Amino acid sequence: MSPKNILIALVLAIALAAGVVVATRLSAPAELQTALVLPAPNALPEFALLDPLRNSVNRDTFLDQWSLLFFGFTHCPDICPLTLQTLAAAQSELNAAGQQPLPQIVLVSVDPERDTPQLIGQYVAHFGDGNLGVTGSLEELKKLTSALGIYFEKQPGDGESYAVDHSAAVLLINPNGEFHALFSGPHVVANYVHDLPIIMENF
Amino acid sequence: MRTGLILLLVLVGACSADTQPALIASDVTITQPIPGMAMSAGYLTLTNNTEETITITRVSSPSYASVELHETVVDDGIARMRALEKIEVPAGAKTTLAPGGKHLMLMQPTKVAADSVSLQFYDGATLLLTVTSSEPRESR
Repeated sequence: MSPKNILIALVLAIALAAGVVVATRLSAPAELQTALVLPAPNALPEFALLDPLRNSVNRDTFLDQWSLLFFGFTHCPDICPLTLQTLAAAQSELNAAGQQPLPQIVLVSVDPERDTPQLIGQYVAHFGDGNLGVTGSLEELKKLTSALGIYFEKQPGDGESYAVDHSAAVLLINPNGEFHALFSGPHVVANYVHDLPIIMENF
Repeated sequence: MRTGLILLLVLVGACSADTQPALIASDVTITQPIPGMAMSAGYLTLTNNTEETITITRVSSPSYASVELHETVVDDGIARMRALEKIEVPAGAKTTLAPGGKHLMLMQPTKVAADSVSLQFYDGATLLLTVTSSEPRESR
């Protein structure tokens, strides 16, 4: 084989190898790191809660956009701010990377006794613009949580001083207003940045 | 945890003159209160330089009416916050109070005009350590 032919053979071999690599990458489904996509998305139930301006929040509120739903309460200095910070940081990273659409961050209070619309509004605004805080009556809240398998329970305490145990999961709601995927804790920014674009693209 | 305060360490008691302090606090962060909320969280690392376990049963601060030892535990997907009766720092080891785990819950900020926040760590009636912030906390 002449030097020229050897070169051509070499180039062909490299091109073939590269082609195989590219083809493999394209055909393999991108794997999710932590999110669990529901085999069949689950429509949100009927419920009527309030946003910080006391406007109604219901299943229609979640149409035409992606939402990351977290259940917590404002009198929670540790894990609730931590989770909201994680979601806000992920959203900000995705935004910087040019990701569209971006999911909105929604905190649903599991402590409607203390969390007025105004209070939950101030709380979520602390973690960024465009976040939605939701509260309302215990009865309406339970319609939503029971349909989504979210647990919460007020713990015994001293007057105004009590904690509320709650599910630590973050739920992704799709633009059809359906429970689409679940992120279990611990919540890590990189997992959201990795998984969210894949899930939204495959929708 | 928008802003971490850099804290200055002041040691009180339990310290022999010629050796390093028995208990050292480092990486201290007191979170700025979220608007509307009368509470913050405190995080730090405690290092025990002695050969015996050091137990902290109580923390107090002139800047807050109430300071509680808390732990967030996520068990079976449920986040629970529980008051702790004590925090132990094993002999020659560190105990870290960090987001999502053990932490101080600082409640009801007092109106005391202070240019720093100090925290006193006790074992029963014995003062083990005083930690003082070098920056004012956000005015309320």
